[in-house]
Amino acid sequence: MPIIVNLDVIMAKRKISSGELASLIGITPANLSILKNNKAKAIRFSTLEEICRVLNCQPGDILEYVSDDE
Amino acid sequence: MWNAKRSVVLSCICTKIVIISAVLFLLSAPYWVGLYVDYASKNPDIKNPLIFTVYAAGIVSLVLLFSLNKLLSNIRNENVFIFDNVKLLRAISWCCFVVAVILLFSGFYYILFLFGAVAAGFFGLILRVVKNVIEQAVIIKTENDFTI
Repeated sequence: MPIIVNLDVIMAKRKISSGELASLIGITPANLSILKNNKAKAIRFSTLEEICRVLNCQPGDILEYVSDDE
Repeated sequence: MWNAKRSVVLSCICTKIVIISAVLFLLSAPYWVGLYVDYASKNPDIKNPLIFTVYAAGIVSLVLLFSLNKLLSNIRNENVFIFDNVKLLRAISWCCFVVAVILLFSGFYYILFLFGAVAAGFFGLILRVVKNVIEQAVIIKTENDFTI
């Protein structure tokens, strides 16, 4: 999929663990793992909003478009 | 109280009873076919083709019944929208079409088989549509499961 989730990069910058982030944004650690490992098919605006609020970042910091050709 | 789980259990039991009955019937098919030909005063020449039809359609029907049993056990384990069930429905649908073809050719020596052929073909078509619906449902469910 050409959309890459760079959540782990932002998490490392903010020094926050997966479990902590999952509980702060209100999703299960299993779902957070799906998101981190680029297995997710879609992301809800509400989830994105919570991630941006907790990590104090913009959606563009988390999501990146990479062309299939690259 | 009657509920969906008990309904599936009943379907499982019925399927198993039909499987056992089909196996027993197939094991003694020549006897029953002979009895039918004698009792219904049919031409004795149709006995061998009739036995062939019964075995050909019977073996395919057994494959169908075992697939149905597996499908029901998946439903019983609450695995409804999975690709395994789509494969099973496809197999069941193809079994119906194969039985329809067997009965269609058998209709050349025994006209009543043509009705069975039409019925089997119709069932196969319905199951094919159900398979397409389940296939789309599996795709939607997968997408929903992976929407965070």
